[in-house]
Amino acid sequence: MSAYAPLAETTLSDAPLPDAPPSSGTPLSESPGTPDPSDAHAPSAPASRLDLSGELLALLRDTTTAPRPDPQLEALTLAVSADLPVLLWGEPGIGKTAALTQLATTLDLPLTTVIASVHEPSDFSGLPVIGDDPAENGVPMAPPDWAVRLVRAGRGLLFLDELSTAPPAVQAALLRLVLERRVGALRLPPGVRIVAAANPRSSAADGWELSPPLANRFVHLQWVHDTDVVVRGLGGIWPRATLPVLDAGRLPEAVAFARRAVCGLLGARPALVHRLPSGEAQRGGAWPSPRSWDMTLCLTAFATAAGASRDVLSMLVRGTVGDGPGLEFLAYLDRMDLPDPEDLLADPGGAELPERGDLRQATLDAVVAAVRTRPERGRWDAAWALLARAAETGAPDLLVVPATTLATLRREDWEVPVSIEGLAGAVSVSRRADRAKVRALDVTRAGR
Amino acid sequence: MNVPPSGRVLDTGKLFAARLQAARVRPYLATALFALRPVESRGVPTMAVDPYWRCYVSPAFVDRTPVEELAGVWVHEVSHLLRDHHGRGDRYAHRHQLSGPAERLRMNIAADCEINDDIFGDGLTAPEGAVRPASLGLEDGELMEDYLRQFRLGPHTAHLAWLECGSGADGLPRPWDLGPDGAHGLSSQERDAVRFRVAQGIVGRPGSAPAGWRRWAEEAFHPPQPWRELLGAAVRSAASAPGTGEDYVYGRPARRSAAVPGAILPSLRRRPTRVVVVIDTSGSVSDAELGSALLEVAAISRAVGGRRDLVGVLPCDAAAGRVRPLCGGAEGVELLGGGGTDLRTGFARALESRPRPDVVVMLTDGQTPWPSRRPPCRTVVGLFGRVNRRSSYDESDPDYAPDGPPAWARVVAIG
Repeated sequence: MSAYAPLAETTLSDAPLPDAPPSSGTPLSESPGTPDPSDAHAPSAPASRLDLSGELLALLRDTTTAPRPDPQLEALTLAVSADLPVLLWGEPGIGKTAALTQLATTLDLPLTTVIASVHEPSDFSGLPVIGDDPAENGVPMAPPDWAVRLVRAGRGLLFLDELSTAPPAVQAALLRLVLERRVGALRLPPGVRIVAAANPRSSAADGWELSPPLANRFVHLQWVHDTDVVVRGLGGIWPRATLPVLDAGRLPEAVAFARRAVCGLLGARPALVHRLPSGEAQRGGAWPSPRSWDMTLCLTAFATAAGASRDVLSMLVRGTVGDGPGLEFLAYLDRMDLPDPEDLLADPGGAELPERGDLRQATLDAVVAAVRTRPERGRWDAAWALLARAAETGAPDLLVVPATTLATLRREDWEVPVSIEGLAGAVSVSRRADRAKVRALDVTRAGR
Repeated sequence: MNVPPSGRVLDTGKLFAARLQAARVRPYLATALFALRPVESRGVPTMAVDPYWRCYVSPAFVDRTPVEELAGVWVHEVSHLLRDHHGRGDRYAHRHQLSGPAERLRMNIAADCEINDDIFGDGLTAPEGAVRPASLGLEDGELMEDYLRQFRLGPHTAHLAWLECGSGADGLPRPWDLGPDGAHGLSSQERDAVRFRVAQGIVGRPGSAPAGWRRWAEEAFHPPQPWRELLGAAVRSAASAPGTGEDYVYGRPARRSAAVPGAILPSLRRRPTRVVVVIDTSGSVSDAELGSALLEVAAISRAVGGRRDLVGVLPCDAAAGRVRPLCGGAEGVELLGGGGTDLRTGFARALESRPRPDVVVMLTDGQTPWPSRRPPCRTVVGLFGRVNRRSSYDESDPDYAPDGPPAWARVVAIG
C-alpha cells in the first residue's frame, strides 16, 4: 500500500486544478474525503522519498578529480593575483562560475557573486536615504548589504556575472565599481579582487559592447569549454588544476625580466605603444596603449615569478594589448631567449645552440652579424668553429646562409680555418639545391 | 646506422637540399620550413605533418623523388600547418557533424586544392599526382571550406584515395603521430609565433609573395568575421545604446520608491527603437545581396524590441523616395532605381520622417558622396564589396579610390 502512496498524492495535488473554479456546484467537502488513505502515510512517505532522492543526489555528486593543466584557469589566477580587472568572455553555461569557485578556494577568498542583470543602477551607485534635514546634511547613498559585508571582511572575490545582459545604465554604474572600486559611499578594500563576466557580442541578445577606453582597462580572457573535459567530468572525473604559485626567490628577477622585455620591444617598435582599434571586428577587444602595456609588464612579471608557461602568458598578453602586438611581444621574448652572440663567440666549444631550426638559424645569423660589426681574426675563426659545431649537431641546410655571409667577411691576410672542413655537408647540400633549382626553373619555363 | 629491414636509410642530405631549395625560392616561408622537424617514419607513404609541426618522412619516398619535387612537397606540407588546416578541418567537422575517415580524406583533398593552386612554379616543381581544383572541375583560388561544399567522393576521386598529408592536414590522429607529448613538438604559443613571424614577413615585404599568401598573411590573425554577426552587433548596439529608446525617467515612480519614503527615484522606461534602412539602389548592388541584408536588419530590429512596422525602408539612388514601413517582409519592398547615387538626399529624407529614427542603417556599395557632418542619430553603414573584393585595386583605373564612409559611422563590410 505504501508503494502507491506517492502516486495517490500526485493525483491528489493535480486533481483539484480542473475543479478550481467551483462553478460546477460540486461540494468542496468531497475532495478532502479522497486523500484520507494517503494522509495516513503522510508523516513517513514524503520523508523517505526525500531521503532516497538525497541518496541519489549524493551518488551523483560523488565525483573524483584528476590533475590536468588548465591554461585559462592559470591565466585567470595570475591576473587576479596581479589585481587587474579581468573580463571573462564566454557563452552562458560553460562553467565560468565553477572556475571562479575553484579559484576562490585556491586563493582562500570568500566568493560573492552578483548577477548584474537583476539589479538596478542604484544598487551599485548607492540607494538614497533621506535623513532629517536633507538640505542641510545631504542625502547619503547607502551601499547594498553584500558590499558592506565585503568591506567588513576586508577580503574576498567579487564576481560580477552577466555584465552584458544588464541595461546600459546598470553597466555604467558597474564599471565605476570595477574600475574605481566604489559602491555608493563605500570603497572596497584592496583585499577584494573583482572579476566580471560577459557574453560574446555575437550571442548577447542586446549586443552590449565596450567602448575602446573601457576595453583598454580590462584583461580580456576568452573562456571556452573543452569537450573532453566536459565528457570526462559528466562521467565522474572533473579536472583539478594546480594553480601557479609565486616563487619568493624570483621576484626581483621577474621584474627585471618584464621591464627588459617590454622596454626592449617598445624601444624597437615605437608604433606599438599606442594604436586605437580600427576595424569593426576588433571593437570591444584589447588594444595597445601605455596603460595596457603597463598591465602587460605587470602580468609578465607575475607569470615569470610563478614560472607559468608561455601559453598562459600568451593568453594574458593577447588579452591585454591585443593579438597583433601581443604576438609581437611574445616573438620578442623568444628572441630574448636566444643565446647571446658574444657569449657564443667567446666559447664556441661549449656553445649550446637551440634545437629548433628557425631559432638555430636566427642565432647563427646573429653571430655572423656580431662578427660583421667588429671584424677581427679571432672572432671570425670562432664563428667558423661555431658553424662547424652546428653542422655536427643539426641540419646542414641551416648553415648555408650564415656560412656564405661569413665567407664574404674574410680579409686578405686571414687564412681559412681548419674547422671549415666540417661544413662540407652544408656545401654539398647547397650545390644539390642549386642544381635542383635550375632543373625546376627549366620545368617551369617548358610548362609555359 | 643500422640498415633497417626495408633496406633504406633516410637520405638526409637530399631532404635538406630540398628544404634549402624551397627556402631559397620562397624566402618568406624560410622560418616555417626551418621550424618544421623532420622525423623518419616507415608508416607514412610519402611525407606527412602533424599539428605539432613535425614532418614524418618516408625514406623510400625521398629516394625515388627528385630534389626539386621534394622541395615542392616541403612547401606543400608547411602550407597545411601555416594555414591551420587541422584546426579548420576540426571546426568544419564539428559544425557539420561529420566523422569518419572518408570525410577526413575529403578535407585533405580540399586542403590540397587550396594550397596547390598557387604554390608551384617559379622554381618549385609540383610532385606527381598533386591534386588541383581543376582536376575536380572546381575553380582556383577558393578556401578549403568552399571546396568542401562543392564535391563528394566518388569514382572521379578514386585516384586520390592514397592522398595522405597526415593529421596536420585534416585533424585526424595517425598511428605514426608522436602526439602532443612526444619529442620536439611545438606548443600552441610557439606555433602561433612561427605563423605570426611568417605572416609579418609577407605583409612587411609585399611584392615577393603571391596574392594567395598575402591574403593569408593579412587574415592569419584577424580572420574576417561573418558580416551577419558584425552587422547584427552594430545595429543592436546602436539600437540599445544609452539614449536610444530606453532610459530612466521621473514621469512615474520607481518600483522601489516605497522602500525610500520621501525620495523620488527614476524608473526605467523603454519605447521601441525605430530603425530606417536607406538602401542604395544604384545598379551596382545585386538584389540577392540587398534582400539578405534587409532581412537581417528586420530580424535584428525585432530582436531588440522593435516592431516590424517600426522598421522603415527608403530606397535611394540619385533621388530618394519616401520611407515605407517594412510590413510585408522584405519581399514586399520594391527596390526601384539604378544609375548614380547620392545617399545624402536619402539621409535627409530619413531624418525628416516622423517619428524620428533612432538608428539609420545604410546599405550601399560606397560609391556615393557622404553627409559632411554627423547626423543626430546613430549610423551603421553596411558596405557591399565590389565584384572583385579580394583586392581593392582597380586595374582599369589604379589611382581611383572612392571616399570611405565617414568616421562617425559604424562600418560593416558585407559579402
